Amino acid sequence: MNGDEIRPSHLRWWWLAGAFGVLAGAGLLSILLGAVDLDAPAVLASLLDRVPFVDLDSGLSSREEAILWELRLPRVVLGGIVGATLAVAGGAYQGSFRNPLADPYLLGVAAGAGLGATIAIAYGPSISATPFGPLPTLAFLGGLGGVVATYAIGYSVRAGRTAVTLILAGVAVASFLTAVQTYLQQRNDETLREVYGWILGRLSTVGWSEVWMVLPYVVVASALMLAGARRLDVLSVGDEEAVTLGVDPSRVRLVIVLAATLGTAAVVAVSGLIGFVGIIVPHSVRIVFGTSYRIVLPLSIILGGAFLIVADLLARTIAAPAEIPIGVVTAFFGAPFFAIVLRSSRGIGS
Amino acid sequence: MTPELSLSDVGVVLDGREILRAVNLAVEGGEWVGLIGPNGAGKTTLLRAVTGAVSFTGSLTIAGVSSPMLRRRALAQGVALVPQHPVLPHGMAVVDYVLLGRTPHLGQVTGPSRHDLDVVADVLGALSLSDLARRDVTTLSGGELQRVVIARALAQEAPILLLDEPTTALDIGKQQAVLELVHRLRRTRRLTVLSAMHDLTIAGQFPDRLVLLAGGRVVAEGSAARVLEPALIQRHYGATVRILDDGAGGIVVVPVRSQDDINASNARPTK
Repeated sequence: MNGDEIRPSHLRWWWLAGAFGVLAGAGLLSILLGAVDLDAPAVLASLLDRVPFVDLDSGLSSREEAILWELRLPRVVLGGIVGATLAVAGGAYQGSFRNPLADPYLLGVAAGAGLGATIAIAYGPSISATPFGPLPTLAFLGGLGGVVATYAIGYSVRAGRTAVTLILAGVAVASFLTAVQTYLQQRNDETLREVYGWILGRLSTVGWSEVWMVLPYVVVASALMLAGARRLDVLSVGDEEAVTLGVDPSRVRLVIVLAATLGTAAVVAVSGLIGFVGIIVPHSVRIVFGTSYRIVLPLSIILGGAFLIVADLLARTIAAPAEIPIGVVTAFFGAPFFAIVLRSSRGIGS
Repeated sequence: MTPELSLSDVGVVLDGREILRAVNLAVEGGEWVGLIGPNGAGKTTLLRAVTGAVSFTGSLTIAGVSSPMLRRRALAQGVALVPQHPVLPHGMAVVDYVLLGRTPHLGQVTGPSRHDLDVVADVLGALSLSDLARRDVTTLSGGELQRVVIARALAQEAPILLLDEPTTALDIGKQQAVLELVHRLRRTRRLTVLSAMHDLTIAGQFPDRLVLLAGGRVVAEGSAARVLEPALIQRHYGATVRILDDGAGGIVVVPVRSQDDINASNARPTK
């Protein structure tokens, strides 16, 4: 039998294992390197010491322990969460809109979430990072407003509509929302420091509380997107044919876009605007592993995490002791990558 | 016996324009009905109404069940469509494309079962596509592509197969091959077939019965000999044709130049 030959594309376990390996390697490297370089065996011992029933003496000083557990680790974990979410959201938007150029940043979602978060910080009651406070709520509403405005403007174009049209609408919406956000920042000088660096993204001031704040949203959003992966494959033949295959395109699009926006808003609320992750990671996965969303979405989660951890490592080491905003690093790699995707996307997604 | 597919007084209005009006049509189980008519007659719209892609007035039943009562999945389990211009996703392999046909049978989250994979393998084998299974669908030739799209529809295992001008972009040999394939599949898989067709000679050869649609209405129906009639074709297509006997019990529709046109062109000064 040639049963192996006609097996449909699927996620192979060794791809998953390899991706997790890359993620673990990126995480470890990022924990070890910084203003104070930590000793690898000691860090591993300290990490394993926290595992129940394991008792190891790491040999780290209490200052090094604090650097590891209160500074490096939360930052690496949050970087991983932010990267994973932006990458999978990018892939999910691309499938929903059948547009290879879609990305949380370029669709105005991130800018809307940024504006919502700024309003929460500037006018809300004293902010504590809790999952159900005004910060994630307003960020979500802002992100939703951003993507709805972009979609409405992009699809009001009748003649000559292409993949680029939606992105141009997104750029206009994002510019407007960012302008409002900047104005609010200037008006509220005392909170300026808190939202400082937003427009270029930052991970520098995070602790474990931010991790716990975004985690519930990110888990729910990612689960919804992964559950919809097969449906996104069906949407790739267009709405009309999707209907004949028993799928309701509008409902799929609604659920996936809401989930992607929820995840994006949650991570933007703690990290600010970090662009291009949703373009670079899913497209790289497509080129190497295949175009099915059952492959693209899960691998984007893992490799998106690894990508942003490395980007953050570069951001804080490349010009040490100064720190470059992480959004600058992702744009440095992402903008040329976007240009390549743009070149090969002519005529798609109209 | 209830017809497999039955339309009664079906009307469709799109963007304020009436596309179909008071269409009555019954297709028996196992029958092949050919839908002919000039461009814009409403052939594609009629097929879209059957798939549930456009809303309609009147009643449309599938195996005796009113179509609006069926959920989308159930409808897709009953009716499969081979579109005229299928959308081809870049980078999708033939086997993955055919697997999309299993969508109405899959659970909400679970992947394809052993049975689903067997159906896909079986369909690929039946249509001689196994060797192309890993090929990107956007790299196929016209004939290969048409077989792949039919394979996806067959994977749906729906008793009713709709074909929208399945031979448009094909050369004459590929046209015959595709229609012979449909003919064979209809027998082996006991399918009911409704196909929109533009080549009248071929329409006269394959379907059991023809329905002539013009201006959104059924204007003639019956055997090929009855529907492919010069006066009807003159009236609805604006074409001058001669109907010939092919010597084997079939008929051939040949376009001819009308005597008036020939006289008019001969009257022009020549070198």
